[in-house]
Amino acid sequence: MKKIAKTKLQELWRCLSAEGALYLPVRSDSVVDFALWQEDVPADLETLNTFLPPKKFYYPQTETVLKYEFGENLQLLDASSQAGEKTILFGVRPCDTAALSLMDKVYLSEPVDEAYRRRRENTVIIALGCREPEETCFCQTFDIDPGKAPGADLLAIDTGTELVVTAQSLKGEELLVALNGVLQEATSGDEIRVKDVQEQAGEGYLTRVSVHGLAEKLDTCFASPYWDRLYRRCIACGTCTYLCPTCHCFDLQEYAAGHSGERVRCWDACMFTDFTQMAGGHNPRPTQKERVRQRFMHKLNYFPRQHGGEYACVGCGRCVRQCPVNLDILEVIREMGGAVDGQ
Amino acid sequence: MSTASEKLRASAAEALACGRVSLVLGWRKKDFWWQSPVAFVEAAAEAEQLSFDPFSVYNPVKYLLEATECHEKVGVFVKGCDSRGINRLLQDKRLEREQVLIFGLPCSGKADPAKIRAVFPAQKIREVAQEGEELLVRLTDGQERVAAADFLLEKCLTCRHPNPVVFDELLWEPVPVRAGVDVSRFARVNSVAQKEILERYTYWARQFDRCIRCFACRNTCPACNCRSCIFDQAEPRWLGKASDLADTMNYQIIRAFHVAGRCFECGECERICPAGIPLQEMNRRLIMDIDKYFGPYEAGLDAGDSPPLGTYRGEDPAGFDES
Repeated sequence: MKKIAKTKLQELWRCLSAEGALYLPVRSDSVVDFALWQEDVPADLETLNTFLPPKKFYYPQTETVLKYEFGENLQLLDASSQAGEKTILFGVRPCDTAALSLMDKVYLSEPVDEAYRRRRENTVIIALGCREPEETCFCQTFDIDPGKAPGADLLAIDTGTELVVTAQSLKGEELLVALNGVLQEATSGDEIRVKDVQEQAGEGYLTRVSVHGLAEKLDTCFASPYWDRLYRRCIACGTCTYLCPTCHCFDLQEYAAGHSGERVRCWDACMFTDFTQMAGGHNPRPTQKERVRQRFMHKLNYFPRQHGGEYACVGCGRCVRQCPVNLDILEVIREMGGAVDGQ
Repeated sequence: MSTASEKLRASAAEALACGRVSLVLGWRKKDFWWQSPVAFVEAAAEAEQLSFDPFSVYNPVKYLLEATECHEKVGVFVKGCDSRGINRLLQDKRLEREQVLIFGLPCSGKADPAKIRAVFPAQKIREVAQEGEELLVRLTDGQERVAAADFLLEKCLTCRHPNPVVFDELLWEPVPVRAGVDVSRFARVNSVAQKEILERYTYWARQFDRCIRCFACRNTCPACNCRSCIFDQAEPRWLGKASDLADTMNYQIIRAFHVAGRCFECGECERICPAGIPLQEMNRRLIMDIDKYFGPYEAGLDAGDSPPLGTYRGEDPAGFDES
């Protein structure tokens, strides 16, 4: 266990940026998002949710998967080298860290997505424990401890004037060694303070819902009239899916000109009309009702059914806060029979 | 419960009970103090859920497009900004006047949750209610009164038409227009316009670079009422799906031009943009240009007028000013 005074974080970041491309939460205009560290740009370590979740570092919104050229023969060019840069993410919150392990279930199970795997391997996650939940936080619903981030390589806990850092993986331990010059040994007092912060972080949740038994319950809800009422408010934008740390659906697009071209993988959203539009014109999800149902069923029924009971939600609350029409997963969990406690 | 909410409930219940309409669009409260989504009320007994509070902001007008497909007549509550959206749909021939029963709600502005959170710890807020010109903020440990004018949404600070411009019934007395809106309306546009051209490009490139193409701006906009949008077309694909700055600009600038002369300044695109892109600056820039080249015009005030870019006049200037 090591520590550093919060007033000396610039030194820490300078050292980290020597180890790889360092990204941390930075405010630009009105938005806080992960951005490449720059010496004179202050980081924002107070805001809990960044605008976009860090999934973009593993699963970028746009990614070339194939390049080709027509000469005498068709030539395929390797587009995978772009995933090689060593990256350090500083300040990833426990919910977003947990989301990556859900994403792994999709992209690291057979057939493994090579670009994703390489990015995962080349990235070090330095998680930052939360001190106090926001009103829209409900990570506890999914058994995520806001003071811990078991999927991270390093865990930093803000004890007030210092960050106390613990290695949680081999990559994390290696990085700690490289940072020896700027970090101090933590004391037993620091250990106690860390425990206090971690314990406190789990208190003060305003939003308490339970998903106990919900996946099973939803098995029989596909044809429920509930969806007829719910969807009407949806304006079919992609805010919820694009801001969601666990949404992972994509589209493959062809960018071709002359004798060469690229095949590009882009984020797509099940809320969009054309998401399931077939080449012949048929759309198996013809109205917004089917699309809204799909999103919630995927998170709360299909995903847990396919992946050992784990829900595809980490309770970060981005969709709760950002949905323009206040149609969010909390509402669905409550109304579809997740046990309610508190607010 | 505020008398405003009571009036909404009574009007909706009456219209539904006597069969004048089979659906009423208003607002209701949800889990959090800042959530007032649009409510779909189909029976008089359900009218109790309606509420008109400092966060009843979302413009319900776009919902009329789908609602009028399965309801002969729909009741809708509209603030000044929302009401201009109805004229938009009427003028674009996407709605017939007799398909809607319009309840007008003069509005002195809605509250910005971010401004409230900046003053009060969000975890402690239980309810924020309008009481005259004050907001009553109920906290877990007491309550406070603050001037509502200090917490207005950006779009309300520049609103020229707080009173509905089209309605069947007005639920209460009209309210005065805020002082100084004629200046504040273009203040941000003017400050961007003062930048050097390269600086201006950098500014917009930075804004658009955050665009994730969620299309919330388009989907919420009553002026974006095409039955099928060019940007959704797969063959040919006018807008690439890759997150490319040039394509994002293509989308945003074409959209701004498409709603030029038709944007009625409800400001919802900017308010709901998850990336915080100042879209109203673009819309208002075009409004400024239209005012300059075609004479003063405000969209959505009168469904019977002639929109400047939808009307040919011999004396219209032929070109654009090079400056």
